[in-house]
Amino acid sequence: MKILIVEDEKALLQSIANYLEKDGNVCETASTYEDALYKIDLYEYDLLVLDINLITGSGLDILKLLKKNKKETATIIISANNSLDDKLKGLDLGADDYLTKPFHLAELNSRIKAVLRRGKFGGTEQLEFNEISIDTRSRTAYIKDDAMALTRKEYDLLLFFITNKGRVLSKEIIAEHLWGDHSDMVDNYDFIYVHINNLRKKLTDAGAKYIKTAYGSGYKFMED
Amino acid sequence: MAERTKKIKLLRKTSKTFLWISLVLMVFSTIGLYFYVRNLLQDEVEEELRSTEARIESSISENSIIYQLPPMVEVESVPNLGFEHLKDTLIFDPSQDEIEEFRELITYSKINDQNYRITVRALIVESEDILIAVVISYLIVILFVFIFLFYFNKSRTQKLWNPFFKNLEQMKLFSLTSETPISLMDSDILEFSELNTEITTLTDKVRSDYKNLKQFTEDVSHELQTPLAIIQAKVDTIINGEALNDIQFEQLSSIQKDIQRLKQLNKKLGLISKIENDQFTNISPCNVTHILKDRIENLSELYPSEILLESNEDVVLLMDAHLAEVLCNNLLSNAIKYSLPNTPIVIVLEKDSLSVRNKGIRAILKPDQLFQRFYKESDEVKSTGLGLAIVKKICDLYGFQPSYRFTNNEHHFTISLPKQ
Repeated sequence: MKILIVEDEKALLQSIANYLEKDGNVCETASTYEDALYKIDLYEYDLLVLDINLITGSGLDILKLLKKNKKETATIIISANNSLDDKLKGLDLGADDYLTKPFHLAELNSRIKAVLRRGKFGGTEQLEFNEISIDTRSRTAYIKDDAMALTRKEYDLLLFFITNKGRVLSKEIIAEHLWGDHSDMVDNYDFIYVHINNLRKKLTDAGAKYIKTAYGSGYKFMED
Repeated sequence: MAERTKKIKLLRKTSKTFLWISLVLMVFSTIGLYFYVRNLLQDEVEEELRSTEARIESSISENSIIYQLPPMVEVESVPNLGFEHLKDTLIFDPSQDEIEEFRELITYSKINDQNYRITVRALIVESEDILIAVVISYLIVILFVFIFLFYFNKSRTQKLWNPFFKNLEQMKLFSLTSETPISLMDSDILEFSELNTEITTLTDKVRSDYKNLKQFTEDVSHELQTPLAIIQAKVDTIINGEALNDIQFEQLSSIQKDIQRLKQLNKKLGLISKIENDQFTNISPCNVTHILKDRIENLSELYPSEILLESNEDVVLLMDAHLAEVLCNNLLSNAIKYSLPNTPIVIVLEKDSLSVRNKGIRAILKPDQLFQRFYKESDEVKSTGLGLAIVKKICDLYGFQPSYRFTNNEHHFTISLPKQ
């Protein structure tokens, strides 16, 4: 995948690029409004990660231009502004998702994959990892063609693990993905253990031992 | 504590002073007039009596005719001369056929070697009538003058103070949150004009300070997002970078947790300042029953025991949909955070109230501070201390009444809803 990341904070820009490149994506970066316009005009991208509060212009204008030129580029807005209005405005202009800063890179990655899976961008709604396959349209996971009986949270968890395979996911990242703003209510993370252990058990029972423990308290979804 | 003085309206106060002064003046002037006129009349009657007596005397001495006109004039021969005296007396008047009050002058006189006692009388009724007539007409005149002056004075004062009253009303209506500056009525009275200038300066200052403060909170919360995003991205990168040891990972996890707290804090502060800045104008009918059911479904996983909703009918409130959600959410998450483990949380939703109750060990120590920002009872539960402050802000925005009580070992949070 060819991804353009537009963000005026260079440190954040670099972190995002590094994270996404590990999945084999080609990442280009633009730290100014002008640079972004120039690159969009010149090259084709599969995905645009777009900060809307750029110093010299608004990311929304870039989005407008993109739509005007009928470019088939998926767009995810990242913004420090969490107002509903901005979000709706961005989505109205044709953005595919909206993420409020600060966010976890794993969360951005999982949103990117979700956007790209949509048929619109030539993706399939099927996701595969060895013998596990996930149909995101029906929200069902199969293991060796047998449908798994997963709860809603277990399904979300499995999808999150697979989209971030090979990455270390701390319980904080997982809690935030599963419960969003409410994750601060789960103080001791007992609930996450319950969900992860249930999912792990269901996978292990089918012979898929992919959920590994990392550094004692984190998790990593990977082959042996 | 100093005793509160009884408050009285300005116009009433000035009218009251006017009334008292007028009343005192009226009473004294009437009494004064009464005595003055009475003396005048008495002198007149006495003069008349003396003049009649002098005529009788001269008629006796010149013509030896002795007039008798009882009871007005009586002349008698007496052996000795007595002392002259003047007095009031009651005498039966045959012409009126009743007892009348007369003023009587008795003089003794030696005319032509004969001693006479001459009694001259005059009816007092007449002069009394005049006296009363004078006093009454005075009273009527002064009363009219008084009434006229009273209303004239009142309307004058009212007109005079009108800018003051108008501006007082304006100041009562003044709201910090309002966008429009205070508009005061101008006056040609120097002091009022000066007062206006001072008030305008003051309110402008207060408004701009308030606005800056609100803007500051919003700006800070906004500006913090980006550095937080960078920290978070870097921590995420470190976690996935070179091999760490378990302790380092634990510490990075803990940093992530604190970033999450900061994010929450920031988000909530931002929400509060947005409510204060009146940025939620998208008012629509919100089905609170549906919102609560949805929230309960969402949060029930995080709470090991039951969350019960008792609601007989759908309650619909006119408010911003997002705020309705936040309101329900915060009440519910508050209950979840502070409920004793393994006890149910009960939500009762009625037409005029929403109440959430959960078991607790003891009542909250300072219930009056409960809805204030950053109020915390203990450090046991990690909380931003803003959830209930947001509830209060939303309630204030829509005229709901939040309250707290502790009975039967249960915390009750009740929101009284206005009739819609």
